[in-house]
Amino acid sequence: MEVRTMAINLKPVDVAVVGLGAAGGVAVLPLARAGLKVAGIEAGTWMDPAKDFKPDEIHNNVRGLVTTVPKATKEIPTFRTSPDVKARQAAAHPMMNAVGGTSIHYHAQSWRLKPWDFKSRSETIKRYGASLLPKGSTLEDWPVSYQDLEPYYDTVEHEVGVSGKAGNIQGTLDPAGNVYEGPRQREYPMPPLRTCDFLDHMHKAALSLGWKPFHAPSAINSQPYRGRAACAYHGYCDRGGCHVRAKNSTCFTTIPEAQKTKNLTVIDHAQVTRIVADNNGKVTGVLYIRNGQEYFQPAKVVLVSSYTYENTRLLLLSKSKAYPNGLSNNHGQVGKHYFGHWDAQAGVNVTALFPMDINTWYGAMLSQGVTVDEWADDTFDHSGLGFIGGASLCAFMEKHPIAAASMGTFGRAPAWGSKWKQFVHENANRFTGAYLQTNSFPYENTYLDLDPDVKDPLGDPVCRVTSGPKENETRAAIYAQNKMEEWFRAAGAIEVLKGQPFGPALSTHTYGGTRMGDNPETNVVDRWGFSHEAPNLGMLGGSVFGTSGARNPTLTMQALAWRTAEHLAKNWKSIAG
Amino acid sequence: MPGEISRRAVIVSAAIVPVAALTAAAQAPPPSALSASQLRTLAAFVDRIIPKDELSPSASECDVPVYINRTLGDYLAGEKPAFIEGLEATDALARRTHNGGFADLTPAQQDALLTSMEDGSAEGFVNARAFFNRARRLALEGMFGDPYYGGNKNFAGWDLIKYPGPRLATTADDQKMGVEIKPYHHSAYGSADHGH
Repeated sequence: MEVRTMAINLKPVDVAVVGLGAAGGVAVLPLARAGLKVAGIEAGTWMDPAKDFKPDEIHNNVRGLVTTVPKATKEIPTFRTSPDVKARQAAAHPMMNAVGGTSIHYHAQSWRLKPWDFKSRSETIKRYGASLLPKGSTLEDWPVSYQDLEPYYDTVEHEVGVSGKAGNIQGTLDPAGNVYEGPRQREYPMPPLRTCDFLDHMHKAALSLGWKPFHAPSAINSQPYRGRAACAYHGYCDRGGCHVRAKNSTCFTTIPEAQKTKNLTVIDHAQVTRIVADNNGKVTGVLYIRNGQEYFQPAKVVLVSSYTYENTRLLLLSKSKAYPNGLSNNHGQVGKHYFGHWDAQAGVNVTALFPMDINTWYGAMLSQGVTVDEWADDTFDHSGLGFIGGASLCAFMEKHPIAAASMGTFGRAPAWGSKWKQFVHENANRFTGAYLQTNSFPYENTYLDLDPDVKDPLGDPVCRVTSGPKENETRAAIYAQNKMEEWFRAAGAIEVLKGQPFGPALSTHTYGGTRMGDNPETNVVDRWGFSHEAPNLGMLGGSVFGTSGARNPTLTMQALAWRTAEHLAKNWKSIAG
Repeated sequence: MPGEISRRAVIVSAAIVPVAALTAAAQAPPPSALSASQLRTLAAFVDRIIPKDELSPSASECDVPVYINRTLGDYLAGEKPAFIEGLEATDALARRTHNGGFADLTPAQQDALLTSMEDGSAEGFVNARAFFNRARRLALEGMFGDPYYGGNKNFAGWDLIKYPGPRLATTADDQKMGVEIKPYHHSAYGSADHGH
């Protein structure tokens, strides 16, 4: 792309938010309500539910066209499992670009992390001794606790709209919800999404094993909420936007709410290329490109919320006199403590074949699901197991026809021809997968940096991911897969197939690179999400996480984003200077 | 809320990125990506993956080659040269091992060649396995994808696997186990026979 060299200077704002996705799209609301003038700078643009969201597997899943501009697909990170090998560019980028970002086509699972997730290191040492800590890990306790974050979880659950059933309200347990969750101050704003035959069946099977199944929480309306409709369960939630706006993507919730204050200006089609810092180490604004023209948006504070890969890349690209190795990187920590979730994309999958038609075609992915939490986090005794963590297990609804016809044949038929047709005719409606999410941790040799060879169309290096398989997570994944098999067998499955866990590649669940912690020698941002080095630079998203939990990350990203924004508004003078 | 400007921006961006390429493609199909003889080889290939039997018509009767030809002409245009190379190599394999092109062989001879491609033992055809897997995958997309894209004629693919069809809303009755859900023969784009 041709870029003019002279940037046009814009009128200064109080806060520039880079990326209006799941995290940035939430942070703008408390900022705008506090009266701060906010520029929300987004590479993509608005999507129209009536026009852009279809029950169409080829559009959504095969071609990945639920997006508005091909920014992410032109800067796909390179990937390698070890520093000794050359990284290769991956085939696709897991994220999308639009106002609302990946909160448009995600599964909308809205979990809180567990109290243990914030203190995994100290709790492990206390219960089992330091020898059980994953070898080579750089695990630290978070500088915030579950209790610190609880009020923000609560706020976001109500502002965005989350459906679910509480299992622990101020210490009172209710087995209809997750009794293993941390105490919450009140019930969810909406009940869980509706149950159905297959979920009831899996629920009973879990109970028969003595487990405590429950319906997973999700940012999808189970009933009309704040002027938006309830879920229609049409079965195209995965990689698809919601045609009735029941999925609470930030473009339907917090962003329009912030616009009502007149304090948020959405600048769409604007790709941020650099964050600018002065010689004293304070950031002064951002450079972006819109329609081939470069602009400088001055801002008293910059919040970066462009997903894990781009958060690190933007900082490393933003070199200056004060930050010769990249913004906020004078301690060499930007890009470090990276990790990805071990889940289905990391080989941690389990599929099952039933002896009857299960009709799981329609639904809302994991959000219309039943979850078991006995084998996650530190819910069970790990003595002698050789790993910490585990996985949450989820059976769910929604299956697409091409994916169904592509099912494995469990060794019962060839992969094509009339015998294969007979097999899928009988069994495409009898098989399902399960979703397992393994607690994952950062390591010394898992990190992000800039690729030495591969560049994006602007000539900037893409992000390079170095992340190999790990023994602790492999063991946890296999342990959890066996539990999932037990559950499927208890439900009457006649075949169960377990994937070989191989470790995460690029995914929508990646973490670190700008980790949060009190120690500036090992962390990029402080307990409020602001840089240890550039005091008016804040980081939002999974890049600040120190552990993943056995959970989808979005609600925690949003609770932290709200907390960082609220902290900024309350301490405006000291942070903005 | 998104207003006129943003809506216009979506349309403008669609003109330069593949986001709306499929819409344009459905309105005015591009010139055929494959030649007549390549299409003949392709039809013979996909008809062994999905042969005609009592469960469904064959892949070519369901317009699976129409889907593949169309996608190679627009969305997968970048992949077209490699795919054509694979088709030609399949035909060349047939001519090396038998007296005729792939489409001229008996079903049993075709199955034997496809098996050798699938397991990577096809002599002199280095990328046989990758091409076999890719062609099989595209055949499944054409057979089981929305008819809007040219394949899955008369919803035969969805009927084959008992997928009841996309709809905008469902009830718990549509999610019952052990019952037959009444098929809803409709494309996501409205018309029941879209693309045919």
